[in-house]
Amino acid sequence: MEYIITGFVEAFRLIFSFDPEIMGIVFLSLYVSFSSTLYATIIGVPLGILLGITNFRGKRIVSRFLYTFMSFPPVVIGLFTALFLARSGPFGQFQLMYTPSAMIIAQTILVTPVVMGIVFNQASTSGYNVVQTGKTLGAGKGHTLLLLIAELKGTIMIALVTGFGRAISEVGAVMIVGGNIRGFTRVMTTFIAMNNNMGQYSTAIAMGIILMTISFITNSILYKYIIGDINEYRD
Amino acid sequence: MNIETKNLTKTYKDTRVLNLTQECNALFFESGKIHGIIGPNGSGKTTLMKIMAGLISPSDGDVLYDGRPGINDVPKDITYSSHRPTLFSRTVFENIAYPLKIRKRSKAEIHTIVSELLDEFKISAIQTHNAKKLSGGESQKTAMARALSFSPKVLFLDEPTANIDPKSVKLMEAALLKRKKSQGLTIIIITHNLSQAFRICDTLTFLNQGTCLYSGPSHGLIESVDPIIHDFISFNLLKKSDFPIKS
Repeated sequence: MEYIITGFVEAFRLIFSFDPEIMGIVFLSLYVSFSSTLYATIIGVPLGILLGITNFRGKRIVSRFLYTFMSFPPVVIGLFTALFLARSGPFGQFQLMYTPSAMIIAQTILVTPVVMGIVFNQASTSGYNVVQTGKTLGAGKGHTLLLLIAELKGTIMIALVTGFGRAISEVGAVMIVGGNIRGFTRVMTTFIAMNNNMGQYSTAIAMGIILMTISFITNSILYKYIIGDINEYRD
Repeated sequence: MNIETKNLTKTYKDTRVLNLTQECNALFFESGKIHGIIGPNGSGKTTLMKIMAGLISPSDGDVLYDGRPGINDVPKDITYSSHRPTLFSRTVFENIAYPLKIRKRSKAEIHTIVSELLDEFKISAIQTHNAKKLSGGESQKTAMARALSFSPKVLFLDEPTANIDPKSVKLMEAALLKRKKSQGLTIIIITHNLSQAFRICDTLTFLNQGTCLYSGPSHGLIESVDPIIHDFISFNLLKKSDFPIKS
């Protein structure tokens, strides 16, 4: 029990000492997770909308695959990404393995189905009605797309933050493709895992607190400006 | 705008929900009149209306807009509103203004038109409310105001006055009759309210199980000897003389 309390004390000391290594790890984590969430949003939102509002043969099977990918184990995605990026793999010539770029690629693959699935689900239920209504009011394709994005704004933001949450909290994929190299590819989650293995609980707890704080701030912003707003409409 | 249907059929998963190939294989909805579509639930009324509004494709047949085939090119000056309208997550004012905005009307013009509609439908007090928070009746009035904002040539209404109070029904009927007279608007309306149908419609089309049993002047329906129509009318009307039937 004592080591847990000591761990918390040490954690706050570490946080407020603004240790350069800790700060570097935090910034790299944020950079990798924000980048991958951004790419996942660019890919996942239009595809989710398109899938949601289009009726085609095999849509059910596609949606089942999509929902399966939403819960795909990060370590498996890390493994497949590594196979493709490894020196002997199809993209080995780009020498991306064990770089932040490889981590961004793996996390983008991990987050895209999450973003796409959430947007797809909402677009399937309310998106079709929005498209039909837009059509009856004379909206062309461009206006309809803008209308859909505006109407699905809340859902897109929720998808984005859920995706970011998945990216920043996963350890398996970034560990495999990043390698947890000190000062280069070490991020918060790999740092925690490593310190736990080494028995340095205070350092691990410190990083855990930072990770949870970032998560809390992100969700608070979302709730205050987006979800709270949506709930108000649903009173 | 005149609308004509030719041999329309619609099949969903091996079930034919609309079959206008025998009786009334060519329905004609004349410009500048109010046309009612009536019939029991599941008779194909909404399917027929959605096909004419270009929202779904028929399995076979065609729809002519002023004589021109238009299944793949439905004119933009027709609109459709249902009893469960999809309003956008923005204010009532912005909802009504939406069709005008996408038609690039000036701000002053939009303000004038929307303000007039808000007054006409007595929804000025809720113009800044979010449309997602409205009651059923307010939603239907907002949807109808939005549909009328850009002065369409054809207005399709699927049970526009279902579940709303008599005062609002009167208000909405007055708005339709006014536009029929002043703008020559063609209105095609689905209603379960037979007295409303006789009150405002110039013609009536009666559908049953996807087929048409009657299409013609409103007053002609009451004289029909078809047992299904007869039962439908008897159940809905206490006495024929209770209602102002046009002749």
